[in-house]
Amino acid sequence: MNELATPPVPGIGLTARYPEIDTGPVDTAIYHEPAAYAKEMEAIFKRSWFMVGRTEQIARAGDFFTYTLPTFRQEILVCRDRDGHVNAFHNVCTHRGNVVEHRKEGHSQGLFMCRFHGWAFDLKGGLARIRDEEGFFGVDKSCNGLKRMPVGVWQGFIWVCPSDEPYQSLEDFLGEQGRDTAGYPWGACTQSYQFEVEVDCNWKLVNDSPAEVYHIPVLHPNSAAPTMMASGNIMGRLLGTEIKGHHRTNSHYSVMGEPKPVQKLAYFHAAAAQNVAVDDKGYELPKGINPTRSPWWTVDLIQFFPTIGFTLSAGMYTAHQVWPLGPNKSLYQQRVFVRPAKTAAERFGQENTMVEFRDVVMEDFSTLERIQRALDTGQIKQFHYHDHELALRHQHHVVTTILAEWDREQASAQG
Amino acid sequence: MTTLPPDFADLERFVPDWVHADAPARMAKRQGSTIADIKAFYQAMLPRGEAVLACLRGHQLGDLPAEVETLLRLMLMLAEVAPAVEWYDDPAVYDGFPVGRICYTRLISDTGAQA
Ligand code: FES
Ligand SMILES: [Fe+2]
Repeated sequence: MNELATPPVPGIGLTARYPEIDTGPVDTAIYHEPAAYAKEMEAIFKRSWFMVGRTEQIARAGDFFTYTLPTFRQEILVCRDRDGHVNAFHNVCTHRGNVVEHRKEGHSQGLFMCRFHGWAFDLKGGLARIRDEEGFFGVDKSCNGLKRMPVGVWQGFIWVCPSDEPYQSLEDFLGEQGRDTAGYPWGACTQSYQFEVEVDCNWKLVNDSPAEVYHIPVLHPNSAAPTMMASGNIMGRLLGTEIKGHHRTNSHYSVMGEPKPVQKLAYFHAAAAQNVAVDDKGYELPKGINPTRSPWWTVDLIQFFPTIGFTLSAGMYTAHQVWPLGPNKSLYQQRVFVRPAKTAAERFGQENTMVEFRDVVMEDFSTLERIQRALDTGQIKQFHYHDHELALRHQHHVVTTILAEWDREQASAQG
Repeated sequence: MTTLPPDFADLERFVPDWVHADAPARMAKRQGSTIADIKAFYQAMLPRGEAVLACLRGHQLGDLPAEVETLLRLMLMLAEVAPAVEWYDDPAVYDGFPVGRICYTRLISDTGAQA
């Protein structure tokens, strides 16, 4: 905890730093119209990269995991080959289209064998073996391997691109924000809890949920608010919002209030104060984290447009990921990453952290389907954003700009 | 027969109902309990918390005697129910999204060694 006991309440004026972003009410059509969603699919999602796991999950050659990309319904297989490379393939057998590897994760001796007719593929995707090959009519093994999916690694996170030709490289996609947040000890939090839930709302509402703290004193009166408001920040203001291209970072201001009794046990007796400010963290934060270098910084929300954000403190982080499933349906995944526990007492601290994050997000999510109903029924046609809801306004601005550009591209392609 | 370390015999009566195998089971137990039952468990556990953690600090994950494992699972249950008592006065998140709709897809082992 810091000794500077009375931090100043952050002021108004975040939005004014970005004159290209309007300050008026915004049209809510993109939050529910099927036509807007269809355009987003082409102009945004097919051009993006999606985080699917961590390299630690496939530490050794032969380790693999499979996944069905929720938005695209594509089956993927991610593995490490004997050269140490991370490969991603369409998990679709070139014989007749069954999934090749049906298990969720595991270790392969070197071949993935389809459980339909037994075709086998190696760790580089090559078609190694056709069962009863003499009965085929000259199938060329050299060009019937698994189809590769574009894959990249950033800070131990594995990302794939659902399009054969990525619109931009992973590095360009992550851009300045990716560079400015590299160097955080992302890999030190080796333990994680993850849950997922389908929510009947537009993907942008899921992103909006943690992206403003204007709501904290009202929506989280007993959970998150006491920390944030302890120092007189009663309106729930941010330290700042940094916009980097399509991405953005919110910096959260808080000091530690009086913990609740079980929190006290976790923080003081179980080495679990990972989610509160620390002065002595033993490493230097990269410049994109706590960008204002405030001594009252506790947490950043680092959002990579369009579908992933990290709530990050000096000692741990939580990934919030949204997979769009339709104009008013999304899959939300929360993965809480914490440092490894040695003792049974520290294990209790991890549980306290996971339960707190989960329940606070359940408070947040109470609003999502209610807002979506108001959108779908036409009961709300405009949103008004506070100065400290800039991250939401920015997302709206980015989407609107991309869709307008898409319309121009389509018009000139037809013209 | 006791299932907890001898110093914690007073908590023995909670073992049958409040020791569960993993986080999803603990979440289900909280959601399926009355707030009165949750409070009875919480109020008995809380004053023993520091002593329990002092014991748990002396044991490495991956090498827990059976009775310490049971004691740890009681504490993990305390973590699960704490918001019900301290934040909501209700097993559910007050006015919240129905937590029963969430599905855990990745767990941290309750007792295994971590690296
Ligand atoms: S579909 Fe895979 S072997 Fe036939
Ligand atoms: Fe919130």
